[in-house]
Amino acid sequence: MPEDLERFIQQHRSEFEMPGPSPRIWDALEKELTAKQEGAKIVPLLRRNWFRAAVILLLVVNAGALFYLTSRKQTRTASFAPEVQEANMYYSSKINEKLKIINAYPVEELGLDSAARKELELRNDTYKTLERELQNNPGNERIKAALIRYYQLKLDLLDRILEELQSKKVTPDQTKKHYEAEI
Amino acid sequence: MKASANNLNQTQITDTLIDSCRNGDVRAFRELYNAYSGAMYNICLRMTNNVSDAEDTLQEAFIQVHRNIHKLENAGSVSAWIKRIVVNHCLNTLRKKKVYFEDPEVVEVEVEQGLDEEHFSWTVAAVRSAIDTLPHGYRTVLNLYLFEEYSHREISEMLGISESTTKTQYMRAKEKVRQIVKQQNATR
Repeated sequence: MPEDLERFIQQHRSEFEMPGPSPRIWDALEKELTAKQEGAKIVPLLRRNWFRAAVILLLVVNAGALFYLTSRKQTRTASFAPEVQEANMYYSSKINEKLKIINAYPVEELGLDSAARKELELRNDTYKTLERELQNNPGNERIKAALIRYYQLKLDLLDRILEELQSKKVTPDQTKKHYEAEI
Repeated sequence: MKASANNLNQTQITDTLIDSCRNGDVRAFRELYNAYSGAMYNICLRMTNNVSDAEDTLQEAFIQVHRNIHKLENAGSVSAWIKRIVVNHCLNTLRKKKVYFEDPEVVEVEVEQGLDEEHFSWTVAAVRSAIDTLPHGYRTVLNLYLFEEYSHREISEMLGISESTTKTQYMRAKEKVRQIVKQQNATR
């Protein structure tokens, strides 16, 4: 009586094994992986470019607002309206708070050049121009709306940058250590 | 998987090696590949029954291993994890070839009883050759159960069929193998 097939296979398991795959399988795989890694390098670049794109978008929106504002003849009045002062305080505090966290990250992690970083600051050229326009035209609703929109866009951009940084689950300190270790 | 020892290469895979793979270290990934490619290639060969398909499937499976290595919780489970990816890729290869696991692919198997069995003996070559002749569905179930050591419940989940179907297919496959090997014995 022959033994059971299951038992036979268990007892001769290694004899059923064939030689491993041809070395060209690894060669092909390595090519794929290298190509993938090249692609993977593009992803962080895209992410960084996303920051840049967002900053550029902010610049374009601001530039549009400025063009609109400066192309109109405005009536001058004496000072900021109370609601503008309130908005200034609210948004300035929020923006500065987020900037403080973002600026704690090393420049390499942020992936922003100095011009882009400067644009992130609260009192950039766009802000200064808007502020000046508003000082000259404190009652102009369009300038007020443009300033608020400027604040909101900036806050939104900073939030998204922070989300991106935090999604990497690293703190500024860890990131610094990581870069120091790499160096 | 069933508790019995599996046939995977026992090369020590450490958390450090897995971490290096996660960080895109190709040399570390090659170490992982070297440790498992032999056993995994054999799975692909058995499942696809074709060298070209086996090679393609192995390559695709390891690309997925590389892509998803961050999902691996610890080095201790790497063996079963890679094996499952490879088996899933083999099943996909078979599905692309329109292999339907639910299809009974009825093979007329008459259970012979009371026949003269004294000259009947198994050999590795005869068993391998007999398995090769099985219809895809039967061979898949038999391979997954006998060689890859999955339980009928696991096989039924992988193939999307009932457990009773996998058991029936396995019994029929086994009987068919026995008959083929017996015939080979008789013609020697």
